[in-house]
Amino acid sequence: MAWVLKRIGISLLLVWVVASIVFLAIHLVPGDPAELLLSQGGAAPDQAAVDQLREQLGLDRPLMAQYLRSLGEVVRGDLGESLQDGSSVTGEIVRRLPRTLELIAAAALLALITGLPLGMLAALRRGGIADRLLSIISAAGLALPVFVLGTLMVLLFAQTLHWVSAGGYVPLAQAPGKHFTLLAMPAAAIATGLFSAVFRITRASVLDVSWRDYVRTARAKGLSRHRILTRHILRNALMPVVTVVALHLGTLLGGTVLVEYVFNYPGLSGMLVDAVNARDYPEVQGVVLVISVLFVTLNLAVDLIYGALDPQVRNS
Amino acid sequence: MIGRVYRSWPFVALAIIAIAAFVTPLLPLSNPLSMDVAHRLARPSASHWLGQDEYGRDVLTRLLWGARVSLLVAATSTAAACILGTALGMIGGLLGPLAEFLAVRSMDIVLCFPPLLLALLVVTLLGPGASTLIPVLALVYLPGFARVAYAGVLAVRSQEYVEAMRVLGASSSRILLRTVLPNIGGPLLVQISLAASSAVVLESGLSFLGLGVVPPASSWGLMIAAARTTMAQAPWLLLWPCLALSVTILTLNAACDALRDANDPHRRLSGRRRLMDALAPGMLPHTGPVLEVQGLTVAIATPGGTIYPVREVSLRLRPGETLAIVGESGSGKSLLGLSIMGLLPLAARPISGAVWVNGNELLRAPESELQRLRGNRMAMVFQDPLSSLNPVHRVGDQIAEVLQAHKRLSNSAAKAKAIALLTRVGIPDPVRRARVFSFEMSGGMRQRAMIAMAVANSPSLLIADEPTTALDVTIQAQVLELMATLKRDGNMGMVFITHSLPVVAEIADTVAVMYAGEIVEHGDAIAVFANPLHPYTAALLRSAPSENGSLPACVPGIVPPINALPPGCIFAPRCDHRRPACEAARPPLVNATPGRMTRCVRWQELQACAPSIGAVA
Amino acid sequence: MRPLARTAGLRALYRRRSVTPLVSAERLTRRFGGGGLFRHARVVHAVSDVSLTVGRAEAVGLVGESGSGKSTIGRLILGLLPVSEGRVLLDGVDIAGPDREGRAERRRRMQLVFQDPYASLDPRRRIGPQIEDGLAINNRVPRAQRRTTIKALLAQVGLTAAHADRFPHEFSGGQRQRVGIARALATSPDFLVADEAVSALDVSVQAQIIALFADLRTRLGIGMLFISHDLKIVRSLCDRVIVLYLGRIMEEGPAEDVLERPKHPYTQALLSASPSLDPTRRRVRILLGGDPPSPSNPPSGCVFRTRCPIAIDACAATPPPLDTVGPNHRVACIRVEV
Repeated sequence: MAWVLKRIGISLLLVWVVASIVFLAIHLVPGDPAELLLSQGGAAPDQAAVDQLREQLGLDRPLMAQYLRSLGEVVRGDLGESLQDGSSVTGEIVRRLPRTLELIAAAALLALITGLPLGMLAALRRGGIADRLLSIISAAGLALPVFVLGTLMVLLFAQTLHWVSAGGYVPLAQAPGKHFTLLAMPAAAIATGLFSAVFRITRASVLDVSWRDYVRTARAKGLSRHRILTRHILRNALMPVVTVVALHLGTLLGGTVLVEYVFNYPGLSGMLVDAVNARDYPEVQGVVLVISVLFVTLNLAVDLIYGALDPQVRNS
Repeated sequence: MIGRVYRSWPFVALAIIAIAAFVTPLLPLSNPLSMDVAHRLARPSASHWLGQDEYGRDVLTRLLWGARVSLLVAATSTAAACILGTALGMIGGLLGPLAEFLAVRSMDIVLCFPPLLLALLVVTLLGPGASTLIPVLALVYLPGFARVAYAGVLAVRSQEYVEAMRVLGASSSRILLRTVLPNIGGPLLVQISLAASSAVVLESGLSFLGLGVVPPASSWGLMIAAARTTMAQAPWLLLWPCLALSVTILTLNAACDALRDANDPHRRLSGRRRLMDALAPGMLPHTGPVLEVQGLTVAIATPGGTIYPVREVSLRLRPGETLAIVGESGSGKSLLGLSIMGLLPLAARPISGAVWVNGNELLRAPESELQRLRGNRMAMVFQDPLSSLNPVHRVGDQIAEVLQAHKRLSNSAAKAKAIALLTRVGIPDPVRRARVFSFEMSGGMRQRAMIAMAVANSPSLLIADEPTTALDVTIQAQVLELMATLKRDGNMGMVFITHSLPVVAEIADTVAVMYAGEIVEHGDAIAVFANPLHPYTAALLRSAPSENGSLPACVPGIVPPINALPPGCIFAPRCDHRRPACEAARPPLVNATPGRMTRCVRWQELQACAPSIGAVA
Repeated sequence: MRPLARTAGLRALYRRRSVTPLVSAERLTRRFGGGGLFRHARVVHAVSDVSLTVGRAEAVGLVGESGSGKSTIGRLILGLLPVSEGRVLLDGVDIAGPDREGRAERRRRMQLVFQDPYASLDPRRRIGPQIEDGLAINNRVPRAQRRTTIKALLAQVGLTAAHADRFPHEFSGGQRQRVGIARALATSPDFLVADEAVSALDVSVQAQIIALFADLRTRLGIGMLFISHDLKIVRSLCDRVIVLYLGRIMEEGPAEDVLERPKHPYTQALLSASPSLDPTRRRVRILLGGDPPSPSNPPSGCVFRTRCPIAIDACAATPPPLDTVGPNHRVACIRVEV
């Protein structure tokens, strides 16, 4: 229990660090941030506009005061106002976040329910046709960047075969069937990379564990193949899988940005890309903060799963 | 080994891609920026092999210039991250905890952000362009390199050969140059290929979003984004950059895998257990002894050819008897134990002979029958109890498991029996100990738990492979005592595999001496120790440290490697009594006196000229 | 490889021997852990108040089970680990003395032979250059002469010049240990710590290496601290023996006295537990119950009392002092009649 609390404490600390960095980033850049944000294509911005932006962003106050104020606002859930239309950043994020979460969950689920069993299968039948075929597929899956895959899927399934429309989003309540059809392609695009990673590490890990001394002991005890696999190999083999999934979380979250753009999916990322293009700093700050906190939370979940699998981690 | 890796296909392909990108400006290509709007979206032709894009620019030219940008960004950012990260990691590894915190742990902050988001945050501030991308990507990969270097320094620093250099008085810079760098070189190369491949992905992704490389410069990401808008009219324009990008990433990934494999010495051999053919005539099943081994030969296929680490071994064990198999490393004693249990590693297989346990022939038995016997009628205790116990299950559960595998037993009954077994092997506080994990026990306690597991179903045959070698001498005494008691109580036959002659003297009724895969002497323990019939046994006894403080006598030379055995008697090159006859042909194992066998052709002469060759020290 | 001057130097040093031992460790204590920002503040006394001396051409055996601190003592004496308390003297001079040059020179004179002949040689370097490391320090042997010197060193340990160009994996365990010894001899040391240097070797090879150590001692006059868990090997090689338990000295004295007529109950149990080579002499052993206690939480008073067959209440009171029970023979036990 103390271990769980410690992990949660560390995660809170990381969230604070992330919030501070997102706040400080604008000040770390040499030069006046307001001027920087307004200068497009090398033309010197209008001084009046710069002053107005400075005031709007609160850059005219002392740094410490700005920092404390913005931390306070973040804690209260206020992420500021968009520079483009003055709307509340929090409101927009709250509207879009569930869509992105659904996409991530669907992709992760898809990758795990295919990657884990197929990885095990390939390990148990190593050298067989299925193993070789799956190894080629996973190598290709890792080599196709998510936006390339997404674009090619649009080309094939929407443009050429006309099975689905090229992208978009329909709320679940409005049309459940259409909702899931539209979710399928972006989720599959994200899941491919994760599947390949999960498949490869599961295969390698099951192979590695099956030569450990304690598996030999299990065989020496006369246990059935099935019991050796489920009780002695799988649980130990899952640990590296969890680690690799954790390492791929960052890619997964980055992948949603590109995929949402490709499929015109109105999640957090579409908002982010627009904001970056418009150099709408408060909005960028808000989205980066939310996704990073999500990232830290997912990592915490992975840590806790790891602890549940490995008693040695719990006890240390 | 590494050299062979560099000649494999990923490196050749990588070299071709890099050279193509490098010489692009020298090639007779059209200007990547020259437009020809009249021929926009033209199909591939003789002058434009891959067609023309939405402004009529030559696609092949733009593809090659795009490669230049991609590889340049990837190479510079990776190189910067590698140099800086390695330096930081080494500083952290060499200078103590504060430096470690500042140089390595602080890096972890970067890892709080998904890489693409970190890049987007910076792009918002600094604007897009290759000059922004390179520092951002370098920052993203910095922690990876710092960690690899740090871990490498830590791993190397604790190596004894580094300590050896420190003892010699070598300076830190000499140690760093001679040991640390060469040893972390492999992992760093893997990290470089990993970062480069990831940098290509990130760069193209950002460019695709219009936030990476700025037009009119060429980039694969930009080309894909542009082709996407004209997908309906000219789908092939989408294929070229997608193909180029994917092939490059595939190549980098494959290079990474090849490097990783080269750094990992574990090579897996695949194969299946093959049942042997029917018994040869004359090899009839026996029912008397607990264990009977006849003419067992084990083969291992290696890259250098098949070797035979166990040759023509015959043994017999009666109920309640302890047979010690003693030999030095490479004698084949452990493989012998594993082949009786049917637990040989996949590369090794018995090729002739027979093994009977309680009258069942095992080498020709299907796996299901072995499964029924293992842990039940025959059991095994291994040398290293820590690695032989599963770290994620409680010790009590692991004992209960072997009970339930062979008997119909409720969970609670199995648990109670497990606690009773822990009590029987002398573990204090067994109720609590049944609930702990193996890593929470001491070495002696773990080996007791292993023994409890082995004797759980009262086997008639127990094979113990160096069960006390990893233990301290006072703990070894406890465990030997326990094994002797268990054997007496259960009338169990025991095969005790060891390299230690004193332990043999302590526990064995009969002893078989193995040398380089063969039994050279076999007989009653007291008789063998008092009057060895084979010169190797005599030499072993003389070289064991004695109790009276005299220096042990040396056996010259080394045990011959199993792939280069001498033609005649395998001990002849080290033997004081060798004659030309010894080196002519392999001597057979002969019955010397009742119950005693030796593989020496001169045993009678040697007995005659000295009452005991063991005494000729 | 040693110039004639060495004989004269030796004679002078032998004269000094009665006053100053070659190496003396005074009240060494080594604590691990404690403090640290995120660590548990539990202090582990790996070594407590250990004093010992080794004379020129003398071999002293350091005996104990795992966790007894015997390897730690070896590393403290060589200056590989910093001492928490106490000091180490070489020819009467503190090895951690302030002069930089003197420190390097003292380090050169004290060398280490490792237990594991596999881990202690760098698998990626030929053995010639690894031996050369010791010659190259401060350019002690000019580059031109190194090849000859390496050849002489290899001959010294029973190998040939051709071996210098091979990689460690081309050698057997015993040969690797010879290489390890040649490397230690490269700096012409006066003092060697052999840390379980023969315990990883096969019996027949073990005898060869023991003979080599005995030879180095008599031929080169090297003083030796021989760390081992095997009493019989210590008996055959050492003049004096020190028995350790949980980082404390239990008993010390001439090897024959201690191992023939042990006074301390731990030494007696240790001797009784080690099996004999004679199957007709299966003795009734003194079996110690349980495992050694954790060094992070040692018993009060005498650390051995929790497993001691003759412990009484008074043993828990204070750590027993090392009392003299015979010529140079000392025992830390209040139950032993002096």
